[in-house]
Amino acid sequence: MSAALNLSHEPVTKVFHGKVAMWAFLASELMFFSGFFGTFIVLRNTNYATFGEGSAHLSWPLALVNTFILIGSSLTMALCIYNLEKHNVKLFRLFMGLTIMGGFGFLIVKYIEYSAKWHDGLFPGQEHHTIFFSFYFLMTGFHALHVVGGMIPMAFMFFKSYTKKGYPYPAKVETLGLYWHFVDLMWIFIFPALYLMIPYAAAGAHH
Amino acid sequence: MPLPALITDHSTENLIMSNDHANPIPAYMRVFYALCIFTILTVAAAKMLHFPESWGTPGDILHVSIGIVIAVIKVISVMYIFMHLKFDHPMLRFFVYVPVFLFFVMSFTLNFLEKWHYIR
Repeated sequence: MSAALNLSHEPVTKVFHGKVAMWAFLASELMFFSGFFGTFIVLRNTNYATFGEGSAHLSWPLALVNTFILIGSSLTMALCIYNLEKHNVKLFRLFMGLTIMGGFGFLIVKYIEYSAKWHDGLFPGQEHHTIFFSFYFLMTGFHALHVVGGMIPMAFMFFKSYTKKGYPYPAKVETLGLYWHFVDLMWIFIFPALYLMIPYAAAGAHH
Repeated sequence: MPLPALITDHSTENLIMSNDHANPIPAYMRVFYALCIFTILTVAAAKMLHFPESWGTPGDILHVSIGIVIAVIKVISVMYIFMHLKFDHPMLRFFVYVPVFLFFVMSFTLNFLEKWHYIR
């Protein structure tokens, strides 16, 4: 007699292995972004004027719109997971679709922001580029890549749910959800760091 | 000797799912509203809270610290409820707390220590 061995989860804790792997990945991602934040803080504190001018040049209302888009998409992702676990496929599709649309919305706003920076000559190699904008493009660029990286498997799950077999893997959607919430978490730090915290010494000229 | 019949079973039968507890939707909505309110607070604190110019660098430290504290509250809310840490196995929670704690410690210490010589 052979016993079925289920390797999808840890036998004692019953935590899905993919979920543990995703947390490990996210921990490494956090360290990746920590490098950016650490360097950003050190350079900001020694270049108040440059960082003040750069920060004041950014459009915080557009970033605020993006913050609300990401918060909304985090909520729809959580609702999407809940509905798949309850086998409510229609609502799963609805909330997954809304989450993907949130990702698209974020990227469209980011495109508008980047276009304005291009016209103002702030891209690397352009006339008015400073070290602040190196950080701006590095941090927001990597963050936008993470958004795209989340949207691809989401689109796969969304379209797969329309096939005959459907998408009956709530644990995998929950694992992807962790990633999507992490993208939101990083933005929670990037938004005030780049757009709002104008160095105090330079604030008088820009507030 | 019996061999495992199936070693790539991806079924989620026997798996503890994070939404196995009571209806989480009210908690999700509370976190969503809290995140919106704290986002508005972040902007308000940055744009409307003005310390006297004479405060100089300590004023900047206070300004940044307020932003970091609000961000930390938002992050904890998302991790606890949206990312289901509140309902997950304690082992997983410990696994997550370490890098997050290190990240916060780094943000705060760099922010304060780097400015120390300007304050003196």
